[in-house]
Parts: sequence; structure tokens; C-alpha cells
Amino acid sequence: MRRLRLAVQVCAVVLGVAVAASAQAPPDVVAAARREGRVVVYGSLEADAFDVIRKIYEQRYGVPVEYWRAASTRVLDRALAEHRSGRGLFDVVLTNAGPMRILKAQGVFQKYVSPTYEDFPPATRDRDGILSPSYRMVVISVLYNTRLVRPEEAPRTYADLLDPKWRGKMVMPDPTLHTTTATWLVNLRRVLGAQWRPFVERLGQQVGLVESFLPVVQKLVAGEYALGITYVKYVKQFSEAPLDYVRLNPVLADAHLVGLARNAPHPNAGKLLIDTLTSRAGLHALAQTGEFVLVPGIYPPIKDADKLRVVLMEDLDEQEFRKARDELGPLFRRR
Amino acid sequence: MQLGGAVSRTLAWPRAWGRADATVWIGGGVGVLLAFLTLYPTAMLFYGSLSDAPVGTLGRFTLAHYRAAYTDPATYRLMANSFVFAAGAAGLSVLLGLALAWITVRTNAPGRALFELVALAPNVLPPLLVATSWTLVLSPRIGILNLTLLRWLGLPPLNVYSLGGMVFVEGLVLTPLAFLIIAAALRAMDPSLEEAARLAGSGHLDAARRITVPLVVPAVLAAGTLNFVRAIESFDVPAVIALPAGIEVFSTKIFREALAAFPPNHNLAATYAVSQLVIAVALVLVYRRITGLSERYATITGRGYRPNVVDLGRWRYVASGAALLILGVLVVVPFLVLVYVSLLPFYEVPSWEVLGRLTGRHYAFLLQSDRAARALRVSLALALGGATLAMLLASLVAYFAVRRRGRLTGALEALSFVPWAFPGTALAIGLLWAYVQLPLPIYGTVWILLISYVTRFLPYGLRPMTATMVQVHRELEESSRVCGAGFLRTFQRVLLPLLKPGFLAGWAILFTIYVREFSTSVFLYTPRAEPVGPLLYHLWQDAQPGRMAALGVVVSLICVVVVGLARRWVGEGKTLR
Repeated sequence: MRRLRLAVQVCAVVLGVAVAASAQAPPDVVAAARREGRVVVYGSLEADAFDVIRKIYEQRYGVPVEYWRAASTRVLDRALAEHRSGRGLFDVVLTNAGPMRILKAQGVFQKYVSPTYEDFPPATRDRDGILSPSYRMVVISVLYNTRLVRPEEAPRTYADLLDPKWRGKMVMPDPTLHTTTATWLVNLRRVLGAQWRPFVERLGQQVGLVESFLPVVQKLVAGEYALGITYVKYVKQFSEAPLDYVRLNPVLADAHLVGLARNAPHPNAGKLLIDTLTSRAGLHALAQTGEFVLVPGIYPPIKDADKLRVVLMEDLDEQEFRKARDELGPLFRRR
Repeated sequence: MQLGGAVSRTLAWPRAWGRADATVWIGGGVGVLLAFLTLYPTAMLFYGSLSDAPVGTLGRFTLAHYRAAYTDPATYRLMANSFVFAAGAAGLSVLLGLALAWITVRTNAPGRALFELVALAPNVLPPLLVATSWTLVLSPRIGILNLTLLRWLGLPPLNVYSLGGMVFVEGLVLTPLAFLIIAAALRAMDPSLEEAARLAGSGHLDAARRITVPLVVPAVLAAGTLNFVRAIESFDVPAVIALPAGIEVFSTKIFREALAAFPPNHNLAATYAVSQLVIAVALVLVYRRITGLSERYATITGRGYRPNVVDLGRWRYVASGAALLILGVLVVVPFLVLVYVSLLPFYEVPSWEVLGRLTGRHYAFLLQSDRAARALRVSLALALGGATLAMLLASLVAYFAVRRRGRLTGALEALSFVPWAFPGTALAIGLLWAYVQLPLPIYGTVWILLISYVTRFLPYGLRPMTATMVQVHRELEESSRVCGAGFLRTFQRVLLPLLKPGFLAGWAILFTIYVREFSTSVFLYTPRAEPVGPLLYHLWQDAQPGRMAALGVVVSLICVVVVGLARRWVGEGKTLR
């Protein structure tokens, strides 16, 4: 496995660094953005969450935002195809750290350091000044159906997940089909140390498998399974459903980044969009939709979100994914 | 034009027809258009399967992807699994489709006009939703049927998470297509043959066995072929059912190793797709061989007839009951689950308490949402325009493939299958690369969606057209040509009206698929024109199943109305006056 080259990114993200209010955008950039007429964004952020950013942006600058939403690998495929053929239609890309680093390595982005980046923890900033800091995280934990599991019976630690009473009652995405789950399992090694291998082996015997995080929460809500490994934010998004989550310590999270296209057709409008998204006001609005953001004192409306110790995961490269798939496959698919 | 010349030599026109030139040019033109539409994007993928660089970029020749894909013994084991799954699902779909088609088209069973329209509805629902609906009905733990009926009857629970469950659900997903193709062929058939059999002393069943069955063999084979390949390629049902059941099939392997890998390995996906292509082309060849004696099946001749139906007497109520039963499984169950989900804040097992939580807010969202309104406008325009264009092209291809049988025309038909053998996601990448590099202002507009829809789903339109075309005797067009009409005039005035049942069946399949198309659209749509398919998928993906279900219900109803209107407007069934 690759050395821990991104030790800084792996470190616990301190949620208490001041992020100042966004600086006022220079008037010439705003005027140029208005002349450009619109901004085109490709991303994997949920449409409802992106809508709050769109509203702030359009109110501030009067420039319409066009948002193409797709899963992160599709964002990667389309942005790369357009970039390589010189037919880029997009100004801004926002998605998980893994695809964003591939796009950066392929020269899809130009340098842009928003004034708002000053206020993020230095550990999360891009040394090359191309990608944004991790402005948003998707936090992974264990959710449970409160009609099937009373809070006092719920597991409290990673080890509790191996209790025989959960056998066949727990569901998670197939790590050989779902890359974030594979990344999560590999990153657990740093949390569990020597206990990692036995943990993963026994977890494989406990769980039912589905395709991704969304079917996990759907099966929990429907009562088909009692526990499931999935995103914590679903507790907010399915707020009327009988759902709660286990306060694991630490919880692992996938970082999301944003970048400005090298051949952006509307570069100034794109810069203003990145400024808005990573501004305090933008992140505050995003948090209200249930997202975990890197603003001190601002948390999503999810109980105990402020008490979680969040650790950003280290993303895997192609070889590491293949190795993880080969290693984890027999443990999880031996039926 | 060289190709035109080659076509004319191979096709060997009857000299009496005179104006062969126009036909040659049109035949050549159709060939070139089809070759461009299908070969251009798939060439990207083929090239990728033999290259060490990502699809769309120049690389060095390598066989590494083929070694990786085809030296793994698991590939062949899973192919066997897939074969059982696909054969079972295709068989079930043809059985259900045939029964439903015969009852609605050839009998006087009450309510058949309605059955026919309703049978289309499930084609509008994305397979992912149908599969999910069935897990809510047949899950051993929470399945509504298991918790209610079977428990009361004291029967053991049914388990959808099994190979049988997969075959059942995929079979249902594939049934509307089988139904439409077979119904089109039955409608184009001369019923006097059955009457003759009955006059000669055969009973209804016997007449059906001896006359109807052989006559619908091409359509049954067509439906079976299409559905077999579609099941081999399908990922949605395996993802929802096979994964929790721990069953592995070929398509889940493609996803695991190529499409869902990170970063996605489209070279490897294309390499796997080659075996699907081989299966599809082999089946086309078998189909062509069997329909090779097409004159044997030609039932629409110059004699003229009025289509009538078989009087079942008192048995007609039994037939209606059977059709209702099939429709109940096919349409009512998934649709009711969808309606139920669309009326709840979140899904829960039905109970009296749940009734208090019913809400209309997801429908209210649709009414207020500009995004939903725009998606409906975009998709309806694409589906109306796309289905019509695709069927016109399919009519021409079917004409040349059936009438002018030869090496080139066989190639013409096989060509239309090429893009279709690739998994939807892999083909979408081929289309993306093909059109992003084309120096024409197509990429980034809705036109690319139209082109990709026509390219990917042409076989769906082509099957009912060829199945109908083999039944039209050439004496009718020959008379028209002898009377001095040119090719286009003959095609428009004589052939298209005769092919109306096939045309409408294909049109209806394509319309319902285009309205909800997702896997190609998602790569190619522009943010200003998001179609319904991606919107449905993203509502689902963004944890809004209620809104997604509400939109699904609305789109299904719109489709039933549009297809019903189209039928009425075209006046289907009155092939000869």
C-alpha cells in the first residue's frame, strides 16, 4: 500500500479553526462574471443541497447557475472526456477527493486560491493551489432502526458490531462493488490496529450485502435489517423515519473538494461560485441541509454532530483498490 | 458511390421494377447512416478493448484486457449462471407475453383493449424500481405478501432473494417487450387460417397449436432473442436481488471489475462486452436462419381481409381472468407499491397506523417544481420525436433486411445489434467519446440524446418491424411498383400502412423507454435540459423516494394516455380497408 503521503489529510480534522466571513469579491471579477452570463457546474453533491448554494449565488451576482448532477465516477468520466477533446463545457467540478485528484493529475484544473481558503485548517489545503480544502465531508457510521433496536441495546463501538446477536441483521454495501465502502474498510486499519484483520473477517460473516449506501438506509427504514453501515446524514434526510446512529469514536469521513476548470468558458463566474460555496454563508447553508462542513461551531441539525471525532479517510489509488477488492472479496462474498 | 453499387449487385433487383436506382440509393443511405450511428461509438470501445490507454485516447496495442477477462475461470462459471438466469427470464417473459398477446389480440375476451394499454405501463418504470417493489412484496422478513396472505394461509414464506426470484422479477421486467412484439405479429396475421383449421375440425386449442403458434414463431424468437441478451446485460435486478442472495452473475462481475472499479475501467468493460456481442450476433443468425423461409409465414397477401377475433364463447371470461392475473403480477403490484411509496413520508410495512401518515406533499412538490416540469417537457419531446425517427429508420432497415436478403442486408441487421450488446453504461462512454470529438455542434445539445436513443434502442424497434415485415407478402408492393409507383411512394402508400401494427408496437416500446431512459442520458444531458430518467434516478439517489415515486406514477399515466391517443389516431388494426 502507498505510504501515508497525505499524513496531514489523514489527521483528525480540527473542527475549531476560525473561518472568517468571505472577503468581498473584487468588482471587476463580478462585472466580468455578469458579462460571461452563466456558470456551469458538474458535481455529485445532492441537487437539494446544491440548490441552497445556487440561491445564494444567484441572489448575490444575478448570474444563473447550471448544475449537472451525477455519481462521482460519472463526473470523472465526463469531465475527462470533455477535457481531453478540448470541448470542456464546465467551469467548476465538485466531488469526492479521489476523482478530484485524478482530474487534477490530468491537468483538468487551473490554479485558483479563493480568499476563503485562508480560513480552513492548513492541513486540508492543496499545496499546489489548485484544489480547494476539504470544505465538506460525508461521514460514515452505523445507523439503526429504532423500532427494532432500543438505544440502550444499540452497539457503541466497532467491536460491538461483531456481537453474534447482529448476525444476519446488519447490512452494508458490497466493498467489491462500492469504492467508498472499500476505502472505509481499508482506513479502519488505522483505527483498529492489530484487531483490523479479525474484525473484517468476522464482519464479513455478520452482514448482508447491497449495492451502495442508499439501499442500506432504505432497508433499515423498511425494517428489513436492524443495523446498517451508511452515511450519518441520512438521519436528517429521513428525519421522519425511525432512525438513529451509533456515535462511533472516531467516525471516518470522505472529503469533498472543488476546482476551477483550466479551460472554463466562464472563469470569473466559476471563481465566484467557488468563493460562494466555500464561504461561511455558503457552508452554513449547506450544513442546514444535513451536510458536515468545515466551519467552526456549525454542524448539521443531527443530534451530537458536534461531539463526533471525525477522521478524514485516505483515498486509495487504482492498485490499492484492486488489492482491497482481492483481499476483501473472499471475506464478504463466501456464501 | 461504391457502397451503393455493391448493394445493388448483392440485392439483385427484379428487373421488372425499373426504377431500382432510388432503392439502391436509399438502401445505401440507410446502410451508411446505420453504420455511422452504430459503428462510430462502438469503434471507440473496441479500440479501447485493444488499447492500453483510456477510451478516447491514443494508446498502444495490447491483449492484456482480453487475457484478464477470458483467462479467469470465474468468467465461464458466471456465464453459465447468467445463461440459466437469462434463459429462464426470457422464457418466462415470452410465455407471459404470448398468453397476454393472444388473449388481447385474437380473442373476444372482455376488457382486452384496456389490458393491452395497461400492459405497457411497466415498461415506463425503471427496472430498479420494479425489482425494489418486488423485494418489498416478497422479502422473507418484511414482504407484504409473506406477512399477510401466506402467513394467514399457513404457507412457508416465499424468498425473492434466490435464483428463482431473479428469474421471476427479470421475467416480469421483460414481459412488456415480448408482449408488444408478439401482439404486433398476431395483429398482422390473417385469422382466416385459424378459421379454416376450425372448419376442418380442429378445436380452438388445436387450431392455436397448429396454425397460430407456427405463424408467431418469428415474433416469439425475436422477443426471446432480445430479452435473452437484455437479461444477460441487465444489472438492476441482479444488484437488488442477487447481491443480498449471494448469487453472482456475469453482469455483476463486469460492474465489479470494470464499471464500478475506481477509476472505471472502460477498456475492460468493452472487452467483456465483446462476449455479449458474440451471443447477440449468434442469436440474430439463428433467428435469420429460422425466419429464412419467410414466405412460409407471409399471411398478409393481396387477397385482403378484415381482421376478426376468435370467439371463445363462455371461455372468454376465463381468458379475461387469466389476463387479469398476469396483469396483476406485471403491473398492479409494482404500480401499487409505487403509489403507496409516493403517498408516505418514508416507506414502512403497511398497517392501519400508516394510513394516518399518508401525505400528498410529494405530488405538491412536483406541481411546484420547475425542474420536474422541464424534465417532463424535455423527455416528452425526445420520446415523441425519437420514437418516430427511430421507427422510420427501423422500417427501412427491416425492409432491406427482409426483402433484399443478402450478405450486406444481413450485415445491416447485425449492425443494429452492435451497440446494443454493450452494457448501457459502457455504451454511454462510447457515445460520449464519439460525439465529444465530432466537430459538429451536437455535443452539449439535446440532439445528442436523440442520436444516442436511436442508436441504442434501434433493435427494439427493428424486431417488431421485421416480425411484421416477414408476414407481408411481396405481391402487394410488386403490384404497386408494376403500376408505376417509385420506391418511396410504394413504401409510404403500401408498406407503411401494412406495417402499422409493427410500427405502433415498436413506437410504443421506444416511447416508453425513451421517456425514462437513464444510463445513456446521464452522461450526455446538459444541465439546461435534464430529462426524466436522470431526474428519477437522482431523486432516488438523493434519498427522496417519495418524490421519485410520485414522478414515476405521473410519467406512467402520461405514457398510457399518449400511447392510447397514438393508437386511436393511427387507427391501429385496420390494416386493409
